[in-house]
Amino acid sequence: MHIRDGYLDLWVAAVCALLAIGTLALAARRADGELTDARAPVLGIVAAGLFAAQMLNWPIPGGTSAHFVGGAFAAILLGPHLGALCVATVVTVQALVFGDGGLVVLGANVLNMAVVEVYVGYGVYRLLADRNEFAAAFAAGWLGITAGALAAGLQLGISEAFAYELLTTLSIMGVGHLVLGLIEGGITAVVYRYVADARPDLFPSTPDLEVTA
Amino acid sequence: MSASRADRLSDAWQSQWARRGLGAVAAMVALSPLFAWAAGQVGYAEPLENAAEHTGATAHEVTYNAGLLPDYTVPSLDPFVGTLVSGVVGTALTLVVVLAMARLLAE
Repeated sequence: MHIRDGYLDLWVAAVCALLAIGTLALAARRADGELTDARAPVLGIVAAGLFAAQMLNWPIPGGTSAHFVGGAFAAILLGPHLGALCVATVVTVQALVFGDGGLVVLGANVLNMAVVEVYVGYGVYRLLADRNEFAAAFAAGWLGITAGALAAGLQLGISEAFAYELLTTLSIMGVGHLVLGLIEGGITAVVYRYVADARPDLFPSTPDLEVTA
Repeated sequence: MSASRADRLSDAWQSQWARRGLGAVAAMVALSPLFAWAAGQVGYAEPLENAAEHTGATAHEVTYNAGLLPDYTVPSLDPFVGTLVSGVVGTALTLVVVLAMARLLAE
């Protein structure tokens, strides 16, 4: 889902960069005080894990390939603000060191994967978690990545390189990731269940859930 | 950093889950060349690439920054070894940057 340089009109890239920077600045302010020394390694390991997981392209017969992005997983495990900052770090390292995703469009890639996917994923999880946490984690991964893909589809579709074919870009990105997102949702839910069983204390406090627990 | 804070951080890193987490990350990095090979076998394409080809956007693609390790390879090195090196460098760099950020946020 990494957009390359030349794909977005400059004004689209600039608006996305401003939105991404603004949201991450707010996230950093909100996250201030959330982090304890005991949780710092969790942050580092999750971010490093997301980088490693994104290198694993799952081959799908038929010429498609998908990899786990992990925005929703990071949001559930770390809270949305720290999750957004972690995914933004991964996306930035990918662009600067490995040329995965463009430089001018870095803000757009951060916006799609570290902001839209993370916050939509977290919203879906919180909406459904008091009914069934496993299903909530699955839906968060699935719909989070689809939302990120739709955001990318929108940015591409209003840009000259994609001939302003908004419906085409939205449908290819949206439908493609709605299907591939099932894998994202599955991995999110399984890893969530494993971590939740092994170390429930690693999760940020969720007052609404504690009342019902 | 105070001694007690250093102790707390040290304890957190020595815990069983931290070792397991780092082990899982190392396992994924070790597997990355295998996945790179397998994805190459089926012809690697993501929806965004399909949309770019469909609309002719690929002609507009430019590269301002190929990166030190372009496309997760090490120039002049075997591509699968390059993938492995890229995995090690990328995860280590991400870990260091995020821990530095965590330290700033915790202060």
